[in-house]
Amino acid sequence: MIKFSNVNKNYGEYRALVDINAEVARGEVVVICGPSGSGKSTLIRTVNRLEEIHSGTITFDGRSVHGKMKGSELNHLRSRVGFVFQSFNLFPHLSALENVTLSPVKVNGVKQEMAREKAMMLLDRVGLSSKAKAYPAQLSGGQQQRVAIARALAMEPPAMLFDEPTSALDPEMVGEVLAVMRNLAAEGMTMMCVTHEMGFAREVADRVWFMDAGHILETAEPGTFFSDPQHARAQRFLSDLRH
Amino acid sequence: MLWDLIDIIRDNWLLLLIGQYPNGPLGGFAATLILSTLSIALAFPLSILIAFARLSKNPLLLWPSTVLVYVARGVPLLMLILWVYFMVPLLIGANVPGFVTMLVTLVIYEGAFLSEVVRGGIVALGRGQMETARALGHGYFGAMLYVILPQALYNVMPSILSQFVSAIKETTLGYVINVPELTFAANQINNQLLTQPFQVFFILAIIYFLVCWTLTRLALTLERRIARKRAGMPGIPLSLNPQSQTAEL
Repeated sequence: MIKFSNVNKNYGEYRALVDINAEVARGEVVVICGPSGSGKSTLIRTVNRLEEIHSGTITFDGRSVHGKMKGSELNHLRSRVGFVFQSFNLFPHLSALENVTLSPVKVNGVKQEMAREKAMMLLDRVGLSSKAKAYPAQLSGGQQQRVAIARALAMEPPAMLFDEPTSALDPEMVGEVLAVMRNLAAEGMTMMCVTHEMGFAREVADRVWFMDAGHILETAEPGTFFSDPQHARAQRFLSDLRH
Repeated sequence: MLWDLIDIIRDNWLLLLIGQYPNGPLGGFAATLILSTLSIALAFPLSILIAFARLSKNPLLLWPSTVLVYVARGVPLLMLILWVYFMVPLLIGANVPGFVTMLVTLVIYEGAFLSEVVRGGIVALGRGQMETARALGHGYFGAMLYVILPQALYNVMPSILSQFVSAIKETTLGYVINVPELTFAANQINNQLLTQPFQVFFILAIIYFLVCWTLTRLALTLERRIARKRAGMPGIPLSLNPQSQTAEL
């Protein structure tokens, strides 16, 4: 579904991604963890080309993401990758419902009524149908992030990417967002998720990728990764988390 | 004093309102209103285009727009009017009516100033909103139209309004190239009466003040309405106060 082959990215001298070779299978849930500055967010943002790469290829659903293409092709490709940001980024001038319907209507040309119906269904799925008319400022962080997930789902993406979706939330709101993500995973959604929620990783992930300094140092099933990490850096990371 | 004012208005209200129309060109308050409305209506969309050009990485867009903004900011409006007034007929070999000269100059000048306000509003939003819109599949202009501009323009509304008010006041400069607008009409009256310049120009000041004040109030009402709708929206002051924004000439 998502495949990285020899991907490299530099910021000047600094090597943000180094020889990334990895693959996310259809229906798989991958959690990417690692210390901050290790390249996790950069990696996930290359999948819908919010970040450019300097060499290598990334394919999404069989299509090369970083090849030469027209702007409209890139827009189409992006519309098929669900992306959830750390800072929610709801559109503050639109109600929750309008946030969810905007892109299906304006990008995919879905009829307004159909988009509304679908959006109400999605808001119901994230437990927020009662907040459809509310503006982002009237919602808590957790509610905003759930609307953001519904907004991404409205484009019917074959895969969802989460860039630290709970890191900007108060602790008591983390659970509600993770619950929505857990449901998505259970429904078979292909997911790539950068997160520090190790409990979530342990419970939901099919595989964990551990990154440090731009490398993927270790990929393993969560059971193996958490009980018996192979790489010294991963061992240190996990022991730091426990303290 | 008060009677003088009333007398002057009673004797000259038609001249103040429409100039010498229909015996001459439409002038007076009507011309001022048309000139202001047209210049704002044309300068506003132009300013958004200039702002896009100024935000573009393409040197063919970036450079001309930057030069335009710097020239408009660096040259007094009166100078610009005189340049257009004397140069354009030489360049195109035909006479241009003063009204058109004034309109074109105002649109370019106001467009350049407004574009910086608009650009500021767009830049102040940060990258997140644009990035999110693009991630959802919107193209650059779609993202601008549906996501960025509605927020950016709302946030800079007080500054945009100041610029609109400025534009209304700047129409008075049409007087120097004989555009028959309100100031021109007032001056005609003053030339007839000879002895009451204070009264005549006092009437003029009041008319301008009322127009600008009405516009300010209208915008304030609109702003409050939007603010109420988005109640509690972070990052946006709920009591934007246009009076505290000084219009510059």
